[in-house]
Amino acid sequence: MSAKPGGRQTILIVDDEPQIQRFLGHALNASGYDTVLAANGHEALARIAAHEPDLMILDLGLPDMNGKEVIERLRLRSDMPVIVLSAHDQEMEKIMALDLGADDFVPKPFGIGELLARLRVSLRPRRAARADLIRQDGLVIDLDGHQVSRDGETLRLTPKEFDLLAALAANAGRVMTHRKLLDLVWGPAHVDDVPYLRVFIGQLRQKLELDPARPGLILTEPGVGYRWAAPPETGAP
Amino acid sequence: MTRIDPPHLRDDRRWMTAPSLGGFVGAALILVVVAAVVGSSRHILPETVVVLLFLTAVLIAAAGFGFWIGIVSAFGALVGVNFMYVEPHFTLRIAQPGDIITLAVFLLAAAITGLISGRLREQVDAAQGRAAALEVLSQVSHELAMATTQTEIAQVAVRHLHALAHGPALALAGVEGQLRLLASEPQGYLPDASELEAADVAWRRGRIEFASAQGWSGSRLTFYPVGTGGSGKRGPVLGHARIAPDRRDHGWREQAIEVILRQTGQALERLALSEEAEAERRRATSEEMRAALLASLSHDLRTPLATILGSVTTLRELGATLSPSAQGDLLAAIEEEAERLGRYVEKLLQLTRLQSGMQVHMAWVDAGDAATASVNRARRSWPNARIEAQIPSLPMIRAEAGLLEQAVFNLIENAVKYAPGVIRVTGEVQGNQLVLSVLDRGRGLPDAIAEWLAQDGMAPVPQGTGLGLPISKGIATSLGGRITAQPGATGGAVLQIRLPVPPEHPLPQTASPAPEPASGQPAKDRPRTDPPEQRA
Repeated sequence: MSAKPGGRQTILIVDDEPQIQRFLGHALNASGYDTVLAANGHEALARIAAHEPDLMILDLGLPDMNGKEVIERLRLRSDMPVIVLSAHDQEMEKIMALDLGADDFVPKPFGIGELLARLRVSLRPRRAARADLIRQDGLVIDLDGHQVSRDGETLRLTPKEFDLLAALAANAGRVMTHRKLLDLVWGPAHVDDVPYLRVFIGQLRQKLELDPARPGLILTEPGVGYRWAAPPETGAP
Repeated sequence: MTRIDPPHLRDDRRWMTAPSLGGFVGAALILVVVAAVVGSSRHILPETVVVLLFLTAVLIAAAGFGFWIGIVSAFGALVGVNFMYVEPHFTLRIAQPGDIITLAVFLLAAAITGLISGRLREQVDAAQGRAAALEVLSQVSHELAMATTQTEIAQVAVRHLHALAHGPALALAGVEGQLRLLASEPQGYLPDASELEAADVAWRRGRIEFASAQGWSGSRLTFYPVGTGGSGKRGPVLGHARIAPDRRDHGWREQAIEVILRQTGQALERLALSEEAEAERRRATSEEMRAALLASLSHDLRTPLATILGSVTTLRELGATLSPSAQGDLLAAIEEEAERLGRYVEKLLQLTRLQSGMQVHMAWVDAGDAATASVNRARRSWPNARIEAQIPSLPMIRAEAGLLEQAVFNLIENAVKYAPGVIRVTGEVQGNQLVLSVLDRGRGLPDAIAEWLAQDGMAPVPQGTGLGLPISKGIATSLGGRITAQPGATGGAVLQIRLPVPPEHPLPQTASPAPEPASGQPAKDRPRTDPPEQRA
């Protein structure tokens, strides 16, 4: 992520519909970002090389190559955050894009607020890299000390439960696919054991959530994975 | 299908049955003629010829009327020979003992002649019967193969059963748990209560219900369940009269009936299978169509919706930070996309109408006016597009003006969307076809879409077609025409709507406003010279 003169970050918008590019351009410019446009996959890869944008918004239904391919090629040389825009009938593609390294997704059609929120989360450096202590909703998670407490009272978690909690909380606001979580916590041999994951998520919610029936911390992304609720934003980027 | 009457089968029952009165009269006549000939010319005729003449009479009677009459004729001839030939003449007395031997030998010869020629006669009859049976059966299988409905199959079977069994024949089918008459022969024959009961038993139990024996009360007809009614239902029952057991041709007639029943069953099963296959094919086609339509929906509906929602939320949430020109642009985008959605919904409604087998209100339409109206509408919708129109005076055709205008408009819209450059709309007559063409300078039509256009009916729409082309094709089809596509002479594509020109079409030059006829014929069925109303 290169710091740009004037501190404005550059967003690459990849969509073959000029109308979508049009309003996204206005909205992002007004929100303090510079924008670069691309109408297809090849153009997108060329723009990435030329402009080194800070984030890419990628429509999955491109005319020349599918979004997955763009992400695969991008990930060979960069870990620039990617948010995919997906339609309802692109569920499988969306999950594959996330597994391949896309950071998040926004289903079409969307309100601009939703996209901007995801954008801010994805542009923020990952919390785990610097903070060993996560405080949210009265919950204190000590990643180094493997300790979780609510209002000063220590909660008892098994080691696997704690690993799962750490994987989620370190990526607050970002969607974590089933495969990603299973890989992080149980290893690559278990990436398909989704029922297993469900059981552990259930146990975590029982222990952490104020109302496990209506979780406020571990949110479900149906068919995709789980998302640790983003902490309240302290200020605009 | 055309009705073929079964070949006539001879009602032949001479063997072992009482010979007919006609046979006796015939045989007697032959003998009288021979006796008269012999009596009038006995001075010329040698005596041996007299004997031979009587023997010939027996032969003719036996060959013509069968075994029993042959035997009776032999005795008649014996009397004749005795009367005419044996001394004393013209008496039945026998003077010389040797003549008794002569008469005995004659009787023997005449009896054997009668026997052999009678048998020969019967063998000929039997062979004819078998041939007739084969003819009947081949005709039945031909007719059954041509039959396309359960009723037609039943009619064929019933007609032949009637001819074979010499009695009424019936076919009944179950409708909602009740037997209903499907066909009967002789036509108009209605089953009585006992027959209905027997038919019901045969239908419900799925087994043959035989006619009661002669002299007993009960059904006169034998009922057989045959075939299947399709989709797991029971098939119809066929009933035919008993074949008189004393008939010489009883055997082969029964066999023929058995074969007919079997073939009818097979025909009904074939029909049920083909109906199921057809229904399955239709389901699959409509399933594919729905999938293609959904794929098209996802693209054409979502983009405008996403743009509108995105622009509106941008204006609401970031309004203060947006420049006035950006605000104006977003509002323009919302307006454009809302209009696009409106057009799209209109098209969806039309496609639904086309697919549900809509009623087309055909009237005399000036195709040139319709094409001009579409060009005008397209120019209003896309003021920046370069649309040239070269539409000469064209003959009137049978069409629905609004639909024709929409079909041309959709082709222009596709050209505007996918082929930047000049678009030309032309009209001409080619043979008995009226051709409206939309030429563009784009990259040409994708092969998949060109192939899809060449197919009959509403085959599944290829991806990326949008709705315009399927609607135009549907309209062209329902107006009795089609859409063809070819590469343009100078690049791009030429899409043509081809519609039939009715042979008695009124030429626009000669057609004059006809006075309203007093008979009150609907005005829309007559040629009209005023331009069809234009849709805005």
